[in-house]
Amino acid sequence: MEGILFWVFGSMMFFGGLMMVVQRSAVVSAVWLIFAFVSAAGIFALLSAPFLAVMQILVYSGAIMVLFLFVIMMLQGPVLEGDRKRLALPLWPAVAVPPLAIVVMIVGYVMRNGLTGMGGPAPEGFGSPEHVAGLLLGKYLLAFELISIVLLVAIIGALAVGKDERKLPWK
Amino acid sequence: MEITLTHYLLLAMAIFLTGMVGFIVRRNAIVMLMCVELMLSSVNIVFAAYSRFHGNADGHVFVLMNFAVAAAEAAIGLAILVEIFRRRRTVNVDDLKALME
Repeated sequence: MEGILFWVFGSMMFFGGLMMVVQRSAVVSAVWLIFAFVSAAGIFALLSAPFLAVMQILVYSGAIMVLFLFVIMMLQGPVLEGDRKRLALPLWPAVAVPPLAIVVMIVGYVMRNGLTGMGGPAPEGFGSPEHVAGLLLGKYLLAFELISIVLLVAIIGALAVGKDERKLPWK
Repeated sequence: MEITLTHYLLLAMAIFLTGMVGFIVRRNAIVMLMCVELMLSSVNIVFAAYSRFHGNADGHVFVLMNFAVAAAEAAIGLAILVEIFRRRRTVNVDDLKALME
């Protein structure tokens, strides 16, 4: 069962990413990316991380992608027409060779060393909101507080960049 | 066939490479940002897979950190793109070669 779900969600996510890259229109790309992120939530659920699966839907598919779609629709005209010209032909090998080299190296490594197991079944309650919250507000409390500063700085930065320069308080 | 850690790592690799190639190939700055989001997401899968492998949920905490970083990055990146669009009327990176024009 886990095997079937892995192949379903994995291929859905890969396909979503692929379609995002090949579609010419930015809106269609964004919708395919949402598809990929929803499939990623399925992968998280398979990895016994239910809390992450929910957060993936809420934060990525819900918040971040809506932001992207809003901006694309705000900038409509020139963005929606997609890329004007394709990449020049001589550049294609330069684009394709590094990923292929990585694929060959990693697949070669796997063929040589075999598959690593999954380390037994997950403990009871693994990855539940209680479990993750215990770590987040205990062992990683400092990182949790610092990430809120990162978000605050991002809010202020986005406001400062987006606002009319003459109206900024320090001008 | 049993699904192992290696399967998840190979899946994450494939998705990361998709995002990487997309970032290089696409000329639309918004789509390039979306490719970065896809790469970040593949890294999250690696975190979760190793977390499950070791039976240790510390990786889940870092996936949550990664969510916050991705949100911050998207907010700032899109704000900059909107500002660029206001001045230059384009977000095509071929038209945005000079730092100051």
